[in-house]
Amino acid sequence: MSLRLVWLNAGIYGSLGLVTVLFLVVFTIPFALLYWSLLLLRRDPAPWFRRLIYLYGRTVLAVAVRPFLRVRYLPLAPTPTGGAVLVFNHRSASDAFLLAALKRAQLVQTVNFWPYRLPLFGFFARHAGYLDSTRLSPDELTSRLETLLQQNVAVAAFPEGTRSGSRQLNQFHSAIFRAAQRCGAPLYPGCIVGNEQLPDRRFRFRCRGGVIRLRLLPPVPPEEVASLTPFVLKQRTRERIKQAITQLEGAVDV
Amino acid sequence: MTDSEIIAAVNAIFVEQFELDPAELGPDRKIFDDLGLDSLDIVDLMVALQRKFGIPLRQNEEIRKIVTLGDVYNFFIRLEASRRATEG
Repeated sequence: MSLRLVWLNAGIYGSLGLVTVLFLVVFTIPFALLYWSLLLLRRDPAPWFRRLIYLYGRTVLAVAVRPFLRVRYLPLAPTPTGGAVLVFNHRSASDAFLLAALKRAQLVQTVNFWPYRLPLFGFFARHAGYLDSTRLSPDELTSRLETLLQQNVAVAAFPEGTRSGSRQLNQFHSAIFRAAQRCGAPLYPGCIVGNEQLPDRRFRFRCRGGVIRLRLLPPVPPEEVASLTPFVLKQRTRERIKQAITQLEGAVDV
Repeated sequence: MTDSEIIAAVNAIFVEQFELDPAELGPDRKIFDDLGLDSLDIVDLMVALQRKFGIPLRQNEEIRKIVTLGDVYNFFIRLEASRRATEG
């Protein structure tokens, strides 16, 4: 491993750890008090967990990541303010943090079983109402999605199911498309490029240019969401994302 | 049904139900990796195949071993052959 890669890995993981510890020091007591107050008042604490995750994500991007990597948000559509389903390609574990760039506090992600069970992140994910895509049946997913949409929460999903760790766009699973159709949810495709090695599948940061680009695309027309079969909807959405990836990977920063 | 009629009928389902390009269809194409179907899409496929061939498939163990489109062709070709043998 070159000296540059050692510096990059030590720097990012070091600053990530430092930001996380500082974040916990600053927020643990106030948030614990807020949490218990909400429980006493019989109010749902999940929106506050989502706000805290959002704040953490923004802090990580601004403080821990910025010295090492550039993140450019290049939307083609405004971030939806109400309930919506957002589907992204999935190259790296950093995708979960990068979604904070969408500036949408009330957002939950569908996650694989392992992040859901991580000691610290898993605790917050579970309490924020994140969806464990490996454990929910199609009916349960639809029911949870319906509830979240009614609460004006956006749901971000990675229909590839797992990180590709490369520039390849894997085949999509249809579960989130079926649930979105059944709920009549607005469906926004999006893509993230440049982070396939940041980190790679073995969680090593390998810098290749160091610019990550994220784009939210205009929503799939509602009549298309309603009328297509789930398979065709997922394939057409995948094609939209594939085209957007090609465009973004050819983009030159000015 | 002849073998080529069975192949044409299976291909027609993939074209009508999944809007796949007929040029994409061939016996070596993997249903998951190449054609992009997942386990939920397979349920839709089973329903369409049952409707087309009039054969209940849910209890059939052999259907779980299908990987390629060629496996689907062969599955129905064998079923048709055994049906003819039973009738004959």
